[in-house]
Amino acid sequence: MFLTRSEYDRGVNTFSPEGRLFQVEYAIEAIKLGSTTVGIRTPEGVVLAVEKRVQSPLLESSSIEKIMEIDSHLGCAMSGLTADARTMIDHARVTAQNHAFTYDEKIKVESATQAVCDLALRFGESVHDEDAMMSRPFGVALLIAGVDELGPQLYHTDPSGTFMRYDAKAIGSGSEAAQSELQDKWHKQMTLAEAQKLTLRVLKQVMEEKLDQHNVQLAQVTPQQGFEILDEVKLKEIIEVM
Amino acid sequence: MASLAHPQQRQFNPYSENGGTILAIAGADFSVIAGDTRQSEGYSIQTRYAPKVFRLTDRAVLAVNGFAADGNMFVKKVKQRLEWYRHAHAKDMPLRAIARLIQTMLYARRFFPYYVYNILGGIEEDGTGAVYSFDPVGSYEREACRAAGAASSLVQPFLDNQIYFKNQRPAPGTSHPVHLPLPTVLSIVIDSFTSATERHIEVGDGLEIYVVLAKGRNLQGLEGIRGMQELTVTEDGERVFVVRRELKKD
Amino acid sequence: MNTFVQRFAGSSASKELLAGNASITEDEDFSDAAWGSEAGFGSLARGVPSFMVPSVPDPASFLRLHTDDHADPSCRIKIQHGTTTLAFRFQGGVIVAVDSRATAGSYVASGTVKKVIEINPYLLGTMAGGAADCQYWETYLGMHCRLHELRNRERISVSAASKYLSNLVYSYKGMGLSMGTMICGWDKTGPAVFYVDSDGTRLKGDLFSVGSGSTFAYGVLDQGYRWDLSDEEAQELGRRSIYAAGHRDAFSGNTCNLYHVKENGWEFIGNYDITTLHYDGPGNVAGSPGHGYGYDLRVEGHSSANPPPAAAPVVAAQA
Repeated sequence: MFLTRSEYDRGVNTFSPEGRLFQVEYAIEAIKLGSTTVGIRTPEGVVLAVEKRVQSPLLESSSIEKIMEIDSHLGCAMSGLTADARTMIDHARVTAQNHAFTYDEKIKVESATQAVCDLALRFGESVHDEDAMMSRPFGVALLIAGVDELGPQLYHTDPSGTFMRYDAKAIGSGSEAAQSELQDKWHKQMTLAEAQKLTLRVLKQVMEEKLDQHNVQLAQVTPQQGFEILDEVKLKEIIEVM
Repeated sequence: MASLAHPQQRQFNPYSENGGTILAIAGADFSVIAGDTRQSEGYSIQTRYAPKVFRLTDRAVLAVNGFAADGNMFVKKVKQRLEWYRHAHAKDMPLRAIARLIQTMLYARRFFPYYVYNILGGIEEDGTGAVYSFDPVGSYEREACRAAGAASSLVQPFLDNQIYFKNQRPAPGTSHPVHLPLPTVLSIVIDSFTSATERHIEVGDGLEIYVVLAKGRNLQGLEGIRGMQELTVTEDGERVFVVRRELKKD
Repeated sequence: MNTFVQRFAGSSASKELLAGNASITEDEDFSDAAWGSEAGFGSLARGVPSFMVPSVPDPASFLRLHTDDHADPSCRIKIQHGTTTLAFRFQGGVIVAVDSRATAGSYVASGTVKKVIEINPYLLGTMAGGAADCQYWETYLGMHCRLHELRNRERISVSAASKYLSNLVYSYKGMGLSMGTMICGWDKTGPAVFYVDSDGTRLKGDLFSVGSGSTFAYGVLDQGYRWDLSDEEAQELGRRSIYAAGHRDAFSGNTCNLYHVKENGWEFIGNYDITTLHYDGPGNVAGSPGHGYGYDLRVEGHSSANPPPAAAPVVAAQA
């Protein structure tokens, strides 16, 4: 794939002769090492599910946090270098609150996504006297789920700062298999319960361990309840009927 | 010629008062925002036509009163922010969002205030008529009606009586209407200004009445009004009209 | 400006606060923040509000010259002022009661002001002093309470919220802000009330009243206050105290807004017209005495304004 990477893959702000930014492309590669994350949009709301890799029996699985709340109507699941995602999600949270303060309304899902992506390309050299914020691109991809006046929506962002809206999207190590499975099974009139089951079923196929309520996390955003992370009891119920 | 030997005190006074009055009344599915067009400084009239009421969007109209230079600059900046919002969020700003925006814009000048009293009128997202009134540094409140400016203390009591039916008991077996119909509101507005013109020297010359109608509503008698002109830009949404009338010029 | 906030604000916020500080001296428009994801936040771009200040040696005296209607009733810009507010802690939570009159000089600018600011579903703030100062900063506080909640996965304590506000206004000390507020809520420690004002005072206490009518409210409140008040008694005490202030203080009146903060957040109890309270009482609500608060009905025509009919004059008919 990288026939001519030569010297051009070192600087974060140098294009290769064929017009590529290798560091950004490598960052996108970094995500493929991350745990699998799945998002599905239905008319009733959006479901996010993520695999928690419990690497050691001594690891407290509840401390792995890969789905986070941005605001009551916005949630986010991540794959890749999750530490990078904290910065992005904090920026999204601040933007969402600033918006609510300035306009007395909830921020739109697309606007919040745009805000996150604005941050993604601020690597490289500093502009005038400002300190450079980041030395490298973010190594994380996000699935941003939310509900606004345009209904339930699911966005995918990557390290290049590109974002796109999806009906169903998988990212991370098992994403290729997962995405084709989603393509097969997703349909327009899916219910939220069906979406919950589908996300888990897709995760189950790509996970090495046996799926249970400790090694996956499931969250949803609905017009009624807003963002909520399902607790292990609810998760167990869904896994049982799956 | 002033002698430099004496101590002199100077103060920075960037403000002036340009008179005039504005008012707004909210109906069930419409909103009326009006202002006179006289602009004066002290006892002399600078112009007989200086608009104080501005269409912001098809669902929002802003009236400004106080120091005209501050007012015009403020309206300009609000319009700029509305444009930015439209580009950033791909929609027109809802009325309550404009109200909050105006608060933050006024408060940003907390230590160097705009000498402007603002009244915002229009249609909310739920289709109801609304009026928001502001003090110069941004405290605001949604109300059914509000008068501001030079003759506010003449007009507001009249509105309290005609709109809120303050201190009046309805006839037995009846109740006061919660919302008045558009033609009634228009005559109250016109009477408010003709009366204010009679009793206040800074009010007069011309009257501009903006009417914002909720989506899909008929003209409710507006079609028969003399001097009416439609200003709507978008289709299938709220509609904005202006009625221009003369006021006494002495 | 805002030095305290910057120094003590949490995690990544401090970075944005620092950036915000840099923009204070800049002209208000056209910083880079006007585009990108901060687009349209205006004075709030980069996370912390920035304010335009006139280029004069003493901006505070400039502001006083044009806006202080107590010192100079002929000043041009009349900022609305708030008046009687009270809050007290008792066995059943916190009662918050306020009047609704706003005055600009001697003109009643509004009789329908919401002087209880709903910061979030379990925190209330009251408004006395500059209406805009209270509205703006308490809304701003609400935004930061929400960020605290998202970042720390738990609700902010009333103590922390009030301290945030007091540090914030303290950083503007001497600039001319005017607010006297009570931050009320229920947290892990139970019901809590904190008094915060623009001088930088922050007090924890059981019972406070703020505003020009506070002396009248305190009179009723102190006399009727007990920790083990029932919910109904407490609500009635709040209403009755605001009525007293509305009745005796010219700058207070119109209506009374009553809130009750309980374990699961605040609840709006009602809006009561002060005049109606005088003649008829609060109506059919919990704790109502069933009659008006005014003493007219207790003097039964013996008041000097309405003296008892004099005994029939003895007519000296006989000569």
